[in-house]
Amino acid sequence: MTRHLDRKPEGCKLLRVEVEIEGKRLVAARVRGDFFAHPEELFEAAEAELAGLALSALPQAARAAFSRPGLRLYGVTPEAIADTVFEACGGGDATEAP
Amino acid sequence: MRLRLLDTGAHDAAFNMALDEAVLEAVAAGDSPPTLRFYSWYPPAISIGYFQGMREEIDLAACDRLGVEAVRRVTGGGAVFHQRELTYSVVVREGHELAPDDILESYRRICAALVVGYEKLGVEAAFAPINDIVAFAPGAPKGEGTARKVSGNAQTRRRGCLLQHGTILLDVDVETMFALLRVPQEKLKGKLIADVKQRVVGLKGLLGREVGYGEAVEAMKAGFAEAWGAAFEAGEPRPEELVRARALASERYETEAWKLRR
Repeated sequence: MTRHLDRKPEGCKLLRVEVEIEGKRLVAARVRGDFFAHPEELFEAAEAELAGLALSALPQAARAAFSRPGLRLYGVTPEAIADTVFEACGGGDATEAP
Repeated sequence: MRLRLLDTGAHDAAFNMALDEAVLEAVAAGDSPPTLRFYSWYPPAISIGYFQGMREEIDLAACDRLGVEAVRRVTGGGAVFHQRELTYSVVVREGHELAPDDILESYRRICAALVVGYEKLGVEAAFAPINDIVAFAPGAPKGEGTARKVSGNAQTRRRGCLLQHGTILLDVDVETMFALLRVPQEKLKGKLIADVKQRVVGLKGLLGREVGYGEAVEAMKAGFAEAWGAAFEAGEPRPEELVRARALASERYETEAWKLRR
């Protein structure tokens, strides 16, 4: 199942998260938005690290992934990403992507 | 500070983005000096930030209908409609006076030159972190409520170099921009258009007169000269840079794989 959630956490730019879930596991997550991350590849590595995580491990694992040394975020925080991914997985007003 | 000055005029979206990257590669390799480039866009285009989804942000059918190109940048940030604007890019090695390790400080330093450039045009402007420049209408009270965005900027660090590019809005066509952009809630589009008209303005709207590309280039050059003591060596892109830019345009920026990669 693929779900999509848009959020604008306080102090952050717009986050658009898409998650693919199978059972109680996150298959993949895409974190899109108008934020900045340096270096960009390290952000994508953090994003890729979410694949396969048990939903119960979120958001702590996501927060850790995006807090990795060397990754600098502007307009978004590891907490905002982790919370939005978690919320997208868990329901809320997330919508199933077509 | 010595800067190679390139004024490459109007090009299509893929070439514009590719040339910025080709210059970055050349500066990183030590083949080209620190570079300040000015350019514009023809056909008009929408660029999206590195982390954005193209189908999510842009109505590609509307782009086709209106003859507007779409391109993904290597820099983060948001979607930008490039029509009546001067665009600049700065490419320097990390550690250069304009590229300290502190990313926000490097935005501040480069934008400081643009702020002086705006002053040359009679506009009081200020850097607004993270990546904007705002301005106040002549005679308007100064405050957060009266500041309007006149320039957006975006930066990446690659191969030990900084690339920062940004817009100097000459005029803003908010209606066309919103015909091209997808908004999260269509029913709020009217309000969003009104909000953006309040928050974003071009030089024409601020000064009540047309400011052309050439006049804006001269002002921004003067800004770099005054803010950073820049001396310019006017030139053309090296043939190798042009060859590499054409390759990057066709192999990356024009491809669906790159455009739709997120």
